[in-house]
Amino acid sequence: MAFLEINNLHKSFGRHEVLKGISFSLEKGEVLSIIGSSGGGKTTLLRCLNFLEIPSQGTISVNGNTIFDAQNPLSENEIRKNRLHFGLVFQQFNLFPQYTVEGNISLAPKLLKKYSEEELKRKTDSLITRVGLTDKRDFYPHQLSGGQQQRVAIARTLAMEPDILCFDEPTSALDPELTGEVLSVIKSLKSKDNTMVIVTHEMDFAREVSDKIIFIDDGLIAEEGTPEEVFYNPKNERTKRFLSLSNL
Amino acid sequence: MIQDVLLELSTGFLKTIEIFFFTLLGALPLGLLISFGSMSKIKPIKAVVSCFVWIIRGTPLMLQLIVIYFGPGLLFGNNIWGNKMEGRFLAVLVAFIINYSCYFSEIYRGGIESIPIGQYEAGEVLGLSKSQIFFKIVLLQVVKRIVPPMGNEIITLIKDTSLARVIAVVEIIYAGERFIKSSGIIWPLFLTGVFYLVFCGIVTILLKRFEKRLSYFR
Ligand SMILES: Nc1ncnc2c1ncn2[C@@H]1O[C@H](COP(=O)(O)OP(=O)(O)O)[C@@H](O)[C@H]1O
Ligand SMILES: [Mg+2]
Repeated sequence: MAFLEINNLHKSFGRHEVLKGISFSLEKGEVLSIIGSSGGGKTTLLRCLNFLEIPSQGTISVNGNTIFDAQNPLSENEIRKNRLHFGLVFQQFNLFPQYTVEGNISLAPKLLKKYSEEELKRKTDSLITRVGLTDKRDFYPHQLSGGQQQRVAIARTLAMEPDILCFDEPTSALDPELTGEVLSVIKSLKSKDNTMVIVTHEMDFAREVSDKIIFIDDGLIAEEGTPEEVFYNPKNERTKRFLSLSNL
Repeated sequence: MIQDVLLELSTGFLKTIEIFFFTLLGALPLGLLISFGSMSKIKPIKAVVSCFVWIIRGTPLMLQLIVIYFGPGLLFGNNIWGNKMEGRFLAVLVAFIINYSCYFSEIYRGGIESIPIGQYEAGEVLGLSKSQIFFKIVLLQVVKRIVPPMGNEIITLIKDTSLARVIAVVEIIYAGERFIKSSGIIWPLFLTGVFYLVFCGIVTILLKRFEKRLSYFR
């Protein structure tokens, strides 16, 4: 069984079915990029993995454990516990404005008593270094550029040590000259321990960093494969059209 | 003469301060409770609370004071306030607290609803509980946003305390006005004006300081 298994995931809002049966699996340390035109359900999929939306059908399992099955609804506490398998970096950063860089990163582990005080300090320090913000430790979000803010958001997510890191168009809200610094931080996270799911419109980046690409169209996986297969030899007509429009 | 005036005014002054202070003490927490009611997901609660707030904000405080003081006696033949000064003062506090908590509740509601949903979601995906999110993430942002409108209401409250006189609670203006009839002098009344200016001035400075202390974030 793969590290992450998504099976037949559906999500409806009222009568509008947004996800129409998504299944895929991912091994530990693999990077999956999800591409597709807007409105296809990419954000909804990530929100389902993080339980910001509750899927209407399907199962999610991590490391062999089924952490979600639509047939057995979870209690609020179970959701809180199980969502810790996933972390989510938002398009709009959503940093906490009244906390410094350090405060943003350490808030959740501190409140949830994840580490001892010294461990937390060390962990926070190393994360700040890792995203290249050692000189910004005591800055507040409004004193940072968009790229720096997104790097703090990444560090904040890493602080909870999720099994799977999700990114929802992490550079879409940034000026073009700032996307590079964020993408290179994400690239640097690729390792045997970090399993990542990245929704992105940065095709060059996706091709470079991913082990696997999924093209989502209208709530379904229209194409799936390695970057070579999907980018250079797409089988589906809609994938072809989408890729030609994103001028690869 | 001056001594008489000062003595008289200082009793009125004390009443004014008391009304102001106790109203804030009651209305600040009660207002938060009412704002939760007006945002409730349970429709009947939301409807009843919103309607109540609408009535209180849509009618004059003067009218509410009179109804609360005379209403029980005239409607149910039961004057719960008694005829003494203490009873009338209590009626004033009840009317003021109800009135101001409704105004405050709208300010709280505006503040809470203005916090972007992303703040809650960021807290949720990090595994925080609803109360951790409210107290550790949302609350301070709400406080920062409501200080200016809250300040305006508080300044209005200072001046509204003078309405207590309609049920014969002797606040400072009432105390000053008595000298017109008894001694034919108007300067005690001017003195009460100075009192309001100083009081409002001090409160404004305190509010500005508080606002400034919260200016380290946006
Ligand atoms: N909370 C919601 N309520 C109703 N419809 C929603 C909601 N969230 C998303 N949708 C709808 O789901 C569809 C897919 O949205 P989304 O997942 O954001 O797509 P993408 O991220 O691929 O652009 C859109 O048609 C959107 O309007
Ligand atoms: Mg999206």
